[in-house]
Amino acid sequence: MKSLNTIRKNMAAILVLMCCAALTACTTPIQSTQPAQGSTTGNTSAIQFTDDDGREIKLDAPCSRIISLYSAHTENLYEIGAGEKLIGVYTSSIYPPEVTFLPTYDYKGDPEQIIAAQPDLVLILPLISRKAPDYIAQIERAGIPVVSLYPDDYDEFADYIGKLAALTGTEETAQQRLVDFYGAIGDVVAITEQVTDKKTVFMESTENELRTVTPYSMPGRAIVFSGGINLAVDAQPVAKGSAFASFGIEKVLENADNIDVYVSQRGAMNTGGNLMSISERDGFDTIKAIKENRVYLIADKIINSPTFRFQKGVAEMARFLYPDLMDGLSAYENDDAATRLGCAEIVLKALHLPIYTPPSSKYYETEQKGHTYGFFEDVHWNDVGFDAVETAVHGGYIDWEKASDGLEYFYPDRLVTREELAKTVFLVGNFSPTANTEVDDIDACEKPRIVQTLVDRGIFLLEDGNFNPKRTVTNNEILTALKATLANSVV
Amino acid sequence: MKRISIMLLAMLVLGMTACGGANSKPASAPASGSAEPEVSAPESASESDAGKKVILVVSFGTSYNETRAATIGAVETAIADAYKDFEVRRAFTSQIIINKLKSRDNEQIDNVEEAMNRLVADGVKTLVVQPTHVMNGFEYDEMVEAITPFADKFDAISIGKPLLSSDKDYAELADIITEETTQYNVVKTAVVFMGHGTEHPANATYAKLDGILKAMSNAENYHIGTVEAAPSLEDVMTGVAKTDATKVVLLPLMIVAGDHACNDMAGDEEDSWKTQFKGEGYEVECVIKGLGEYPGIQKMFVEHTQDAIDALGK
Repeated sequence: MKSLNTIRKNMAAILVLMCCAALTACTTPIQSTQPAQGSTTGNTSAIQFTDDDGREIKLDAPCSRIISLYSAHTENLYEIGAGEKLIGVYTSSIYPPEVTFLPTYDYKGDPEQIIAAQPDLVLILPLISRKAPDYIAQIERAGIPVVSLYPDDYDEFADYIGKLAALTGTEETAQQRLVDFYGAIGDVVAITEQVTDKKTVFMESTENELRTVTPYSMPGRAIVFSGGINLAVDAQPVAKGSAFASFGIEKVLENADNIDVYVSQRGAMNTGGNLMSISERDGFDTIKAIKENRVYLIADKIINSPTFRFQKGVAEMARFLYPDLMDGLSAYENDDAATRLGCAEIVLKALHLPIYTPPSSKYYETEQKGHTYGFFEDVHWNDVGFDAVETAVHGGYIDWEKASDGLEYFYPDRLVTREELAKTVFLVGNFSPTANTEVDDIDACEKPRIVQTLVDRGIFLLEDGNFNPKRTVTNNEILTALKATLANSVV
Repeated sequence: MKRISIMLLAMLVLGMTACGGANSKPASAPASGSAEPEVSAPESASESDAGKKVILVVSFGTSYNETRAATIGAVETAIADAYKDFEVRRAFTSQIIINKLKSRDNEQIDNVEEAMNRLVADGVKTLVVQPTHVMNGFEYDEMVEAITPFADKFDAISIGKPLLSSDKDYAELADIITEETTQYNVVKTAVVFMGHGTEHPANATYAKLDGILKAMSNAENYHIGTVEAAPSLEDVMTGVAKTDATKVVLLPLMIVAGDHACNDMAGDEEDSWKTQFKGEGYEVECVIKGLGEYPGIQKMFVEHTQDAIDALGK
């Protein structure tokens, strides 16, 4: 299979990544000090490559005071363990959450602000060079190294990460992270390539002129990796190198019966439609995916950005296409005591919830009424289960706590009680009150209305006349309660 | 130069006489429930425009086409049907929505300043401006500010009141929303309307309406809250908790049921009104229907337009 071969090829490439074409050997003790292939003979620079604007980059040592003017560079630096080397980011950067505490810079502003910060590296991309050449020139005249990087397609990702790693001296972490990245995508491919009844997907990239994505863009590749059939596989880019491709409403409607899944890519600019705007378009009620409620939104940051979060985008696409296959719950079919983290993962999968991502780059500019994304002290953005926790909490399915000092806690390892589970399943369903079963310990329940309703509806059974709100539950009990809820509630 | 004196909740009247211009083609009713009414689109001036009488209906706007037709469009159509000797034009105050409609649908909708410039260029001498705002908050004030510099360009100009201005308005609105929600007004059910809310003093509108409803014989289980001000969601939940309600029906107290209704009220996030009420154990039903869809509300705007027309030339 082509997609799998591509991944295997990339895996092989990783093994030689740190000594590949553009990079010289690094100065870290664990690395070879021999010049790598492609290095300039006789050059004494430890780091040497040509950036994507054509600059010959020659640096003696990794950088440690970096300003990144592109949110993808910022994300990737954190992922490869170089986050602490950042002293400034672009104004719209909001991931990972800790970047919100860093000073921000804008290439539409005054370059003196960057010069005054005394960085030893400014990371940009070719788009900035084209849009703000004077801004960049002024920074370079101040003697500050500028490096412009942008991987034009998915196949250049590893090489791009290699350059970031060389610039920051984080090759080892980057290499492991790339192995994990391609491994995660490979895992999705391994699952979805078993599917015989492949689903056809249409991906909307912009509402204006109803554009889709090009087959070789990152979203286009994600469709392939996730085992989907891209309805617009022949779509042509609107301009050379663009990820957007022309399509149009008419062609969508011509294929109304063939679109199993409709995905809209949402972002700050050139965004696809939302559920309401898509559903109200003339004729769209004839589209199979809309009739069958198979319309999904996906953040462009996880599907169309050259970052490690692309692996999440691929997994999400596969979940949209094959929810039962991707969201298997067999790992939770046991009588182990259920943790809050496990409960979050069960909720995410059982309800096939799209993972939560902040809706806009202005998310952190206003105080959130509830939990603030990424601000749990005990669930970090690169922890296993982060997305499940954030999604379950933002959906109100699982409570959290704000300490007296204002810090937010989820307590992922704490065991789930009967009453916590009751609230979770009550949020999942919608129940009309029925009888008024006698619950001996109803006064011991924090949410008596919820407990009473769920006991009345048979979702929870009494134990010797008591609800026992503080008793902890097993994973099987969570699964049973959710199953009963989905079968019995009024939706 | 004429000067406009703006009084809270008062119509603005300028000029001495209303022009008896040539009758214009009335806006036609929508062909179907989802079609946009035929409100005059921006076009270049012509000699025949001179002397024309225009009602400019000013709304915040929405990018949802079906919803727009069912709410703002329905109000515009009701006004056009009632005043066939006036041409009805549309303006939005949200530039973001105007820009989106232009780029997405190639639909040109004027903002207030553009609409006023066009009216002047078209030689219109008699103008009634009817906002579709719920009350005279910042949006209304900004609309008046945008109109003021053009006041002396017309022989007669009058600005209509927002939905809730007089005591009669409150009573009428209370009657309409209780009649329109009769099916939800049953035992152990709280009917909760969600307004926008504002830091403007006009925010008192919501508490006043809440009090009027609770004083009615058949609406003590009705509650008014706002997304961004008082009464807050917490205020409403406290009020509902004091009743025997086991079910909550949520409806928007907004002309258009758009993003606020879909997200803040009926969304699936932790802080939506739906989730918050469910978290307390209530059965929750959401009704995504803007006030503009109610015929009674459309009639109220027609009446406000009549008041503004009556004020022309006074």
